[in-house]
Amino acid sequence: MIESIVSYGLALGAVYALIGITYNVMFAASRVFSFSAGAVGMLGGVFGALFIDRLGMPVVLGFLAVLAVGALIGIVTEIVTVRPVLKSLEQHLYVLSTLAFALMIQQLVAIEWSTEPQPFPRVLPFGPGIFDQQFWLPMLACGSTILGLELLYRHTLVGRAFLAISEDNYAARALGLPERELRLASFALAGAIGALAGFTGGEMMLAYFGNGPLLNFYGFVPVALGGMGSNRGAVAGGLALGLFQQSANFLVGGVFASVAVFVVFILVLLIRPEGLAGAAAARRV
Amino acid sequence: MPISVREPLLVINGLVAGYGKINVLNGVDLTVGAGEVVALLGPNGAGKTTLLRAISGLLPWSGRASFAGTNLSGASPRDVVRSGLVHVIEGHRVFTQLTVFDNLLLAGYGMPRRERAVQVEEALAFFPEIAAKRQDRAVTLSGGQQQMLAVAQGLVRRPRLLMLDEPSAGLSPVLVDRVLAAAGRLRDAGTAVLLVEQLVEKALALADRVYALARGSIVLEAAADEHDLPRRLEHAYFGQQSAHGVTPASP
Amino acid sequence: MRDTASAPALAAKAGGFARLEALLPVVVLAVGGSCLPLLGDSYLGVIATRACIYWVLVSGLNLVVGFAGQIAIGWVALLTLGAYVTSVLSAGTVMPELSPYLALAIATIAGAISGVIVGLPALRLRTFYFAMTTLGFATIVTQIALAWKSVTGGGVGVPGPVLPWPFASPWGFYYFCLAIAVICTWMTTNVAASRFGRALVAIRDAEVAAESVGISKPALLITVFVFSGAVAGLAGGLFASLQSYITPDAFTFDLSVLFFIAILIGGRGSVLGPLLGTIILTALPEFAAPLVAWSTFLYAALLLVIVLAVPGGIAEMLDYKNRRPLAQHREIRPRSELLSKLMTDNANPTVLALNNVALSFGGLRAIDGVDLLIHSGEVHGLIGPNGSGKTTILNVISGYYAPQAGQVRLNETALQPRAPHTRARHRIARTFQTPRLIGAASVLENVMIGGTIDGHGAFVESLLSLPRHCRDEALLREDAVAALTAVGLEQLAAVRSDRLQHSELRFVEIARALMLRPSFLLLDEPAAGLSVDEIKRLGALIVAISRRGTGVLLVEHHADLIFDICDRVTVLNLGKVLASGSPGEIRAHREVVNAYLGA
Repeated sequence: MIESIVSYGLALGAVYALIGITYNVMFAASRVFSFSAGAVGMLGGVFGALFIDRLGMPVVLGFLAVLAVGALIGIVTEIVTVRPVLKSLEQHLYVLSTLAFALMIQQLVAIEWSTEPQPFPRVLPFGPGIFDQQFWLPMLACGSTILGLELLYRHTLVGRAFLAISEDNYAARALGLPERELRLASFALAGAIGALAGFTGGEMMLAYFGNGPLLNFYGFVPVALGGMGSNRGAVAGGLALGLFQQSANFLVGGVFASVAVFVVFILVLLIRPEGLAGAAAARRV
Repeated sequence: MPISVREPLLVINGLVAGYGKINVLNGVDLTVGAGEVVALLGPNGAGKTTLLRAISGLLPWSGRASFAGTNLSGASPRDVVRSGLVHVIEGHRVFTQLTVFDNLLLAGYGMPRRERAVQVEEALAFFPEIAAKRQDRAVTLSGGQQQMLAVAQGLVRRPRLLMLDEPSAGLSPVLVDRVLAAAGRLRDAGTAVLLVEQLVEKALALADRVYALARGSIVLEAAADEHDLPRRLEHAYFGQQSAHGVTPASP
Repeated sequence: MRDTASAPALAAKAGGFARLEALLPVVVLAVGGSCLPLLGDSYLGVIATRACIYWVLVSGLNLVVGFAGQIAIGWVALLTLGAYVTSVLSAGTVMPELSPYLALAIATIAGAISGVIVGLPALRLRTFYFAMTTLGFATIVTQIALAWKSVTGGGVGVPGPVLPWPFASPWGFYYFCLAIAVICTWMTTNVAASRFGRALVAIRDAEVAAESVGISKPALLITVFVFSGAVAGLAGGLFASLQSYITPDAFTFDLSVLFFIAILIGGRGSVLGPLLGTIILTALPEFAAPLVAWSTFLYAALLLVIVLAVPGGIAEMLDYKNRRPLAQHREIRPRSELLSKLMTDNANPTVLALNNVALSFGGLRAIDGVDLLIHSGEVHGLIGPNGSGKTTILNVISGYYAPQAGQVRLNETALQPRAPHTRARHRIARTFQTPRLIGAASVLENVMIGGTIDGHGAFVESLLSLPRHCRDEALLREDAVAALTAVGLEQLAAVRSDRLQHSELRFVEIARALMLRPSFLLLDEPAAGLSVDEIKRLGALIVAISRRGTGVLLVEHHADLIFDICDRVTVLNLGKVLASGSPGEIRAHREVVNAYLGA
């Protein structure tokens, strides 16, 4: 039993953490949270099943195609729903535009794919077990993403440019950095990370349009708890959330596990609105 | 009679700019020649920072402006930087989470790698104090050192005209002298400098020519060594106790 | 030359029209809805009933989302709650059977309490975070309904309440729902045209300014959450009756989205717009069979189009009044002699004093031991180079920042730090460096907001349009017209504020501040962006205000204005007082000149 809680907990937690990182990368580039994070997560699972099961693509090709789909959705998100509203004075509009877009994607999938959860293919040809691929694939994905992002930010100029536009967008523009292209690239990267989360978590969560809102919420909890913009915080928060959820599942059953997660989430936020690791933002008048 | 200017590099006519509905600049005329230091003085709220932001493309503007013969109308900050006009913004805003060296590399984003490496070293040579800290994160630098880093960033592209927005703000007098001395060395090396400053005496000591901006337009244009400049500037800043409050431009 | 004697008449006339205009949604619904049965189509009746029930919920949610600007996406949670409470109580599964009317009443109360619970996070959390928490609520309420089989029947569900004669028949029930919908419309239009409605919009679009006129965000938000939750609970009960049998999967996320989108498509700050939006969104899928599956997709697409193209929604499209062109060369001509209509002379001399106030931001000493004395009836200028601490001092006096040392006192009373909404009752008013007004509201409404704390009626009185509310409104309107006339902008009273020029916005802010009959008026760079003529008129207006006994603290860069009208001038440099005295003394003060010229 414990092994089950730990494996499912860490694996799902890794998926949530990756969605949290998706939120963070989009936020770093635009100072805005997008509901697209959950949508690309859901599409990772759905397109994975579509490419590999239905269209019969080889696994590696299908995987790369899924990442491409994620990147594309990220780009469309930036162009259609984020860029136009950043210019306007009404800051809250981004919530509505990204929500609308995520809903459209979700409904499209429900209508064209299926309203029922569909099975997700086995990615690697080994058999099931405790150390089953459905558990370690997401964790591997999460670890690789964190490592990859570190490499990107520390050792490439593009990565450092991402950090620059995230820290001080105005100074970056004045310096002549191609701020618009960099933001587009950030969203593409975020989309790919989200799709990665959905693909590796596909066996556990199945290919289901309803995963969108689910991932939107459970992927946001690590961000809220771990502090806005902190990827390490998102990983810690995600894994903790996964373990907590599975333990609650075991102890009090499915429904009340959700309630438990939600109550903890609300309580933490009410006590520390900036998250457990974040810094309180001073009010500017 | 207009003061003769060496081969004009930056020419601005009737520039109008503002923020949303607030009109800050109402028709500014200004010229900077190759290799000269021009000081832009004026009281707070006059529009000096707004003018620099308009020139470098950070703000929309209308009117006429050209740099080295190229029309600046509609140019993005990136275009402007690449054409050799660099704006070092106010407030020594550097990327605190990155190292000094990375800050400089970013200033040369898009340049061929070897050329960038060479010019980063040249920029660092101007400020040996921060060259010693090249691998330290910018957040560990003092305010003055961050300002030097910001100016160094401006140098990486070997600009023909460098615009400095209040580089002395928040700095001790010693550091101010250092930063302004660097501007002087730039002029000696052939770079033109447009210097927005609060410290009138130090700016006048460095500059070849001076403009005063008040209430959105140029109220004074003179050579820096004219004898009654301080008094005329005082008038420009504080206005006269009359209905108009504008000092006529120099004869 | 406008006849000043007609200003109250003008106000009354404008008020009358405004009231009629505001009642339009009520009339539309009542008349249109009553005629519907004449068409005889019973299927139409079901759709219409559903639209009425949805509108009951949306009318309340409109105050939360459209007026207060809170992104409450998961309000279906309250519909679910109301539906189950009503059904369980009237089915008698848990306790003895209750009358359906009583069950509905209890559902309403349960909704009110839950509305506060769901809404409470809005007081602490950022927009996106709050949106997430409401989504979470919606999910868990449905899950609880599924799991709590003993009470809710789990996935099997529970029958809905059946109302007795005459509301048992479909058309009878329709009239019942229509009546409730009309009452809710009436109540919410009353709120919209009250100081509460305006205060909600102020919180949404100009929170900092709202605090400066005394509006308390928590109190107001909780009030609307209670109301909104209550009508949502009631709508839930009606919904259960319409469905005649409810299961958890009747309360989908799609439904929540529908409510939310109806408000945004209709336009924020309007009642008619969301009413039309709700009717359209409910009816649309019914009239085209293939649309049913795509309905949510279409709602979302519509929302995206609205957000990108017409953020003001249907209401903006219907606002033909604000498409009429304005006069091109408008002049602002204040008439200070009219200040007497608004302000009575301040008899008791008061002093606003800062004692050794200090405040640092990080390592920077923004204010370093400042003493400042402002007397009523004097114009006190505060000048200094950039970064000298002028605006910070204003923010400390008006309570946005708390000083780390020293005190701000009004006569003998110490002013509470970090409580900007308390300044209004001390009659301390201010304007802001960049005008903070509600762009979507008219100039008159923006000025009326300045007098919010002087209203006596409670929220419930506004809800039901009781006499005290009507008196409040008439007085506020009259005062606002007087204030606008005094600053010279009465011609623009009905115009949307975002159509005004920058200089006009500055004067509107002053009119708003005058509504408090301030004993102290803090002006933050009011001359910025004004023409030379406008600055002269501003100066005359400020002097006139101070002669009525108001103490004015004028932070400015325009040296001319300062030296022309100030009785005393204090100069700040690097957070400390450099000099203080009469304008003549300051102008000749060597150190001051040097500070500005940076020697």
